[in-house]
Amino acid sequence: MVSSQTDEVYLDYQSARPVDHRVVEAMQPYFTERFGNPASLHGVGDRATEALEDSRAKVAAFLNATPREIIFTSGATESNNLALIGFARRNKRSGNHVVITEMEHISILNIAKYLEQEGFRVARVPPDQYGRISPERLRARVTDETILVSVGWASNEIGTVQAIPAIAEMLRGTGVALHVDAVAAEGQLPVDMAAVPVDLLSISSNDIYGPQGVGALYVRKGVRLAAVTMGGGQERGLRSGTENLPGVVGMAAAAGIAAGEMSAESVRLAAMRDRLIREVLSNVPDSHLNGHPTERLPNNAHFRFEGIEGESLLLSLRDEGIAVSTGSACSSKTLEPSHTLISCGLLHEEAHGSLELTLGRFSRESDVDRVMQVLPGVVKRLRGLSPLYRAK
Amino acid sequence: MKSTQYSEKTLDHFRNPRNVGVLEGDDVAVGRVGNPVCGDLMEMYVRVKDDRIDDIKFQTFGCGSAIATSSMITELVMGKTLDEALEVTRADVADALDGLPPVKMHCSNLAADALHDAIKNWRSGKRLEPLGADEIAAAAKGCSSGATGETTVIQGTEDYAGKGVYASVADVTALADKRVLVLDKGVASARLALELTRVTPRVIFLTELDALALPDELASEIKRSDVKMLFQSRLLAVRGEGEVEKVLVHDLDEDSDYELFVDAVVLLED
Repeated sequence: MVSSQTDEVYLDYQSARPVDHRVVEAMQPYFTERFGNPASLHGVGDRATEALEDSRAKVAAFLNATPREIIFTSGATESNNLALIGFARRNKRSGNHVVITEMEHISILNIAKYLEQEGFRVARVPPDQYGRISPERLRARVTDETILVSVGWASNEIGTVQAIPAIAEMLRGTGVALHVDAVAAEGQLPVDMAAVPVDLLSISSNDIYGPQGVGALYVRKGVRLAAVTMGGGQERGLRSGTENLPGVVGMAAAAGIAAGEMSAESVRLAAMRDRLIREVLSNVPDSHLNGHPTERLPNNAHFRFEGIEGESLLLSLRDEGIAVSTGSACSSKTLEPSHTLISCGLLHEEAHGSLELTLGRFSRESDVDRVMQVLPGVVKRLRGLSPLYRAK
Repeated sequence: MKSTQYSEKTLDHFRNPRNVGVLEGDDVAVGRVGNPVCGDLMEMYVRVKDDRIDDIKFQTFGCGSAIATSSMITELVMGKTLDEALEVTRADVADALDGLPPVKMHCSNLAADALHDAIKNWRSGKRLEPLGADEIAAAAKGCSSGATGETTVIQGTEDYAGKGVYASVADVTALADKRVLVLDKGVASARLALELTRVTPRVIFLTELDALALPDELASEIKRSDVKMLFQSRLLAVRGEGEVEKVLVHDLDEDSDYELFVDAVVLLED
């Protein structure tokens, strides 16, 4: 797909993934002959309802949950909004304190700021230098007023995987609910709601090679939320608005494929990732790995290079037809460096020199070959321009 | 508009920057602006003959537009009189590049500022000092112990005693895998920083000086090591919930403060 059709090497799977052609096939009929609004009372509407509920069952199976625990949304950001704002508003009589981590996705960070404006207090737990959140340190932030803890299963940026089972066990029976943003982990690691006592879990369709603009929130039976979107009362009143039927069908197809292929795919990607990390660290002087050496996503390699700036690196690789990401401020809207890298203890100048390579279903060894042909020379050229590298 | 949506001309100057490098000699002045903390640092070298820019070279750490604007301005002012060069504005640089994305306009300020700084230095008689003079001057300024000379109170060090702040480290393995900030207290603290690199990849050595004031052998060992140096920095405060989580650092060069996430702070007793 991506790499076989063009000469472009795509190593930015964390930003967007191509939709699997099997998913596109499954979706196709729902744009035309199998269209319909599940709320309609005629035959067309009944078939739409059937497709919606069939999709819900498939997504539930992917998480080892029950269909009633799945709420479809427009994506993980909406799922996070419903989980945090919906839970906090509904349960504010039990307390006004929420715990998140410094590592969270920007949507969680901004929702937390919003909750502070609404009168909630938010504690932010810092990670260690590898991006891991210590369960004990997190526990220390939980007070009598705490109603909710939100931790990402893995970092979409540096790839560090959190000890979610341990964190969930620790909170079990405390009366504090646990929300997990599983977007970076889903499809790469087992996410099993029967095995891990998580109360709310956000997932997205595109991160398992489904269409963009669809996601889901897992809501454990018995967990109460207030709606955040008002309207016709779809999705048990929690997410009004006519369902995105082709999208939901696509997400379900993607979930089915992910469930079947995840273990083999993760092994393949982890081997490719390890080769990439090994070769970059040994062929580029003064390069470092960001994130955890072993507890990391199978598809994530994240580096920093002394003395150069990430946007220059990104532009140079773009010229060579290689698509990547960086945590540099100069490539962000806010001109701030990545909060994730800063919370791991990096200095701003180090965060500016970061490079993120994320692999995926259609990555091949030849993509790694291409990076290794180009990257050492690009880093060398930019260091030749840099007054900082000379200083070393 | 995306921050990386550059004109072809900007991309050309990024890919093939003109006049990269440094100049040497007593007819050279240098201008330096920016801060690596903000993601850009520029150095502009000018050689002046008969009040004209006879030669100009630059070095830049920064994004695509920082590199392109540095390159562009060297072309714009080569051969011009100093007064003419001073009239080149940031807008001229951006125009010459067929525009810059709005969020990147500040980069063209930097290039113009670096040039103006170089001309100002030339006019005030400040010439490029021979290589290494900075380091020599710094070493002369600092007292032999490497200590700061000025006593400042670091907030929070008493509150976190035993909770991440150390006055002595008998066994470095106690700090295994921690992010350790070692305050410059001279030779003993530098040796400790080196020893810590055996047990953790993250050791930061913070000093108010702008170069190492240590015996040669130890200084070069530190330079080769994984110890991360923070020069011209003052520790202001230790912060955290019940244990050390971060420190507040004052950048003496930029006169600005920032937070740095660490797990331990070592302040060896004098």
